[in-house]
This record gives sequence, C-alpha cells and structure tokens, in this order.
Amino acid sequence: MDKLTRFKEIIAQYCQVAAEDMREDMRFREDLGFSSLDFMSFLGEIEDDFDVELDEERLIDINTIGEAMNMINGLQGA
Amino acid sequence: MRNEYPLTAAQNMHHQWIREYGTQQVSGVSIVASLKAELDFGLLKKCIQLEIKRYGCMRVRFTKPDENGKVRQYIIKHDPRDIPLKDLTGLSLDKADDEMQQWAYQTFDGDNRPMCEVTMVKLPEGYNGFFVHMDHRLIDSCSLVVMINDIMKLYTHYRFGSEYPEDLADYEQVLRNDLAKASNEKRFLKDKKFWDDQLDRLGEPLYSDIQGPSMLEKARKDHKNKKLRSADIERKDLFVAVKDYVLEPDAAKGLIDFCLNHQLSMTNLLLLGLRTYLSKVNNGQEDITIENFISRRSTHDEWTSGGSRTIMFPCRTVISGDTEFLAAAYEIQNVQNRIYMHGNYDPALIRDEIKRRYKTPDDTTYVSCYLTYQPMPVKTDNPFIKDIPMHSKWFANGAATKKMYLTVSHTENGGMNFSYHYQTASLTEKDMELLYYYMMRILFKGISEPDLKIGDIIKQV
Repeated sequence: MDKLTRFKEIIAQYCQVAAEDMREDMRFREDLGFSSLDFMSFLGEIEDDFDVELDEERLIDINTIGEAMNMINGLQGA
Repeated sequence: MRNEYPLTAAQNMHHQWIREYGTQQVSGVSIVASLKAELDFGLLKKCIQLEIKRYGCMRVRFTKPDENGKVRQYIIKHDPRDIPLKDLTGLSLDKADDEMQQWAYQTFDGDNRPMCEVTMVKLPEGYNGFFVHMDHRLIDSCSLVVMINDIMKLYTHYRFGSEYPEDLADYEQVLRNDLAKASNEKRFLKDKKFWDDQLDRLGEPLYSDIQGPSMLEKARKDHKNKKLRSADIERKDLFVAVKDYVLEPDAAKGLIDFCLNHQLSMTNLLLLGLRTYLSKVNNGQEDITIENFISRRSTHDEWTSGGSRTIMFPCRTVISGDTEFLAAAYEIQNVQNRIYMHGNYDPALIRDEIKRRYKTPDDTTYVSCYLTYQPMPVKTDNPFIKDIPMHSKWFANGAATKKMYLTVSHTENGGMNFSYHYQTASLTEKDMELLYYYMMRILFKGISEPDLKIGDIIKQV
C-alpha cells in the first residue's frame, strides 16, 4: 500500500468520508468534521504509523490533507 | 480458556479511586432514559438483552484483586440475565427521581460478577423507559449515550420496522489496540517528555481553591510548611450534592457563536471562565490548574466500542492579568491541543512525577475544580421517536472523590446545563451559586469585549 493510500485510510477512521473520495485540498475541520481532539489524536497516530516526529509548534499551519502529507514527506526526506 | 487483560489508564483511574476511598460507590454511574409513550416492555426487555450481546463492555467482569490491589478484566460470552420491571407510577416524577437516586447509591461489591444493572421503569406522567446503573470502569457518559440510542434503535426496528442498527465495534478488539498503543515505548517517551517539559518550565503547581486562599493557608499551618503549594483532600466525608443551573438557549447561543466565530472549542472557553473565577477569588493568582476530562473518542471504533475512555489531565496555565480575554482563550486552546496529542499517557504518572520532584505530601492536591464538557446531548436522532418528549436524568453516585466537579452539557432546547457536584464537607449551595454567577459574568463580559484584559474583567465583574 502506498503512503498516500495508507494516510487516507487512517483519516477515514476519523470521519464520514471514504478514503477514495478524499482530495488533497480537503480541510480537516471544515470538510472532514474533525474536532480539535480528533485532529490532535490523528496526528499522534500519524507520528506512530509513519515513524516521524511532528514539530508541535507548526501543527497550527496544517489545514488540509495535502499540507499534512507534505509535512510528513518533508520529515521523511521524500 | 478466557482472555484476561489489564485495565487501561482510564479504567485504572476509577480503580485507584475505589482503592483510595475504600468504596466502589465512587465508581457508580447511573442514568434513566424514558419516553412519554406506551412501551411494549416485553419487546424492550428483548432489546436490552440483545444490547448486552452487542455491547461487549456490558459483559466485562473483574478478577479478585491481587496482593497489590490490581485487578484484570475479562469479557464473558453470554450473559442471559432477566431485566426486571419496576412500577413507579404511584409517585410524582420528582419522587420517582428520588427513588432512582437511591438505586444509584448501590455498590457492585465483590469480584467475578456483573458490574451493570438495567431496570425497566414505568414512571409517572406517562413516561416509560429504563434505568441503567454501571461501574465507571465499564462505561463513561459518551458510551452510555451510545448504548441508550442503540437500544432505542433496536426497539424501533422491531416495533416499527426501522432499519436495523449497524454493528457496534468490538470492545475486546479496541481494548487490545488501546493496550498495544499504551505499550509503544517510543510514544510513551514522547508523551513523558511533554509532561516533564511542562514541569521543567513551570515548576511545582500551586493550589487554587473555589473559596479563596484560606484552604491553602490552613494546609500550610497544618503541615507546618509556609511554602506548601498543595492542600488537603477530603477523605472521610465524601457526601456529594448536586446543583444544576440552566443557561437559556439565547445566552447559550452567544457562547456557541463566539466559539464558532473565533475557532475556539467550548471546552477551552469554559476552562477560561473557570480559571478566571479561581484567579479572582485567589488574589489574582496566575498559575491555575484545573483537571479537565477528555473523552478520547475520535475514530468510529472508539465511538461505538463502549468502555470507559474518559480520562482527566491537568490543564495548567499561567496567564497574567494583562492578557486579553481572547488571547487567554487561545493560550488555553494551545495547551489543550498539545494535551490531546499526548492523551494516551497515563495521568497517574504525571502525579507520580510531581510527587517525586516536589515531595508533595500524601493526601494533598493542587486542584479543586474538575471539568467535563459533553458536546453530545442525551437525545436521539431516531426519526421514530425524536418528536416524543423524553425524560432523561443522570444520577450522582453519592460519593465524591473531587471537591467540585462541573459537568456542562447541552439541553434538548438549545440551552446549556451546568451541573455542579460538590463535596458538602466544605462547600455549600451558596458557593456553587457564586461560582456559576461569576463564571457567567466573566464569560459574557469576555465574549462581548474579547480585547478586555483578564485583570480588568476580574475587577469589573
């Protein structure tokens, strides 16, 4: 399974949108209905699943699926 | 052979309270859910029995405590119990509530036994439904609401032919996942670092009491330590009283709109109101800690697996009087968001670390106020019954482990309910009245003038 597919599958556990219907410009809060708790719990799971360490000061800049994916790619040096 | 599992951190929180206070009563949770409608009690019994099959947490039992007081949990496969029916129609609704309140005081003593009871009830004024009494190690308020809604869906399926409810997540599988997450060493070290960093940065917390500095001053005298920063916990007289205040829909809308317009969560606004009150009555104290309960339910499985996932973490903020109301709200939100990210950590370890660093005396605490915000109302979206008047009520277990525990929830008509559970050993209804009055004054002053400084709000209210 590629990274993006895995990423979307994790997101799908937190919302009502199916992984295959997700677009990179979708916003976590407004489009996917994440609460603050959902979003931060999700990021914690992403850290564990992708074995990265997110910069907690920069998390406020993440609004969309694409931005989150870019951050992970950057941390993994992809 | 049965599978046995250790308790999760959230379950262990309740288990430790049972041990510390020497009674299971502190872990009781009870609710009645009823509709103003004739019910087929034979069918309702079938639905409740079916729910016990569907909702694994209702079949959890505990082993006998080992020499260290620890228990393990297991899930029995079948629990073919009878569901009794009690007729309270001869009473007024208030008296019926009083009767059910007595049921809520009952304890589940012993081990290897059912830790939940469901009773069907015929209530006055045409209300009919069921009363649920459970041990908090099995269920929290979110999962109780899920359970009530699921029973209603089963009932309307069999009674009116509505769609059969979707399967609920498997309690045992979710439990295994939770325990696996808790044993992830890398995650554990990240979480520990977050909490340790807070202590490195801010040092020992400082107690703030609802009634002002006198409690801390008394503790300092009693412990013969002028620098003591924690105050004594009431261990003997645990009797709790409850005082509810309802905020009318128009006023509640003001708070909700403020949160929406400023991308704030209601929890953080409430924390700000509560901490500002504590600051006001403690001579402007800036370092305030409130224990805030987090539901830890985000994924579909976490929402529908039942169980006790709610856990409390200290929300500690140091906010000066020169900080503007909105900026203070964002400061709390920032702290809370980071706590959410580290919410898998066992909060008992935070207290252990504080005790290790600062030699906190036994039976003392830094916290007098505890907050739970429940965004989910006890209201069904079931189209077959959504227009039928409902009588639902949470019952206190009668024994408080906390000096003051505020539960804020939304009412069916768009208002908000502020339910103050307080230890009567040191607090009175008048204290709760003052707390609610000033909390509201602070919040409404703040949302009407978000640029106003906290210190000025304290002076003006």
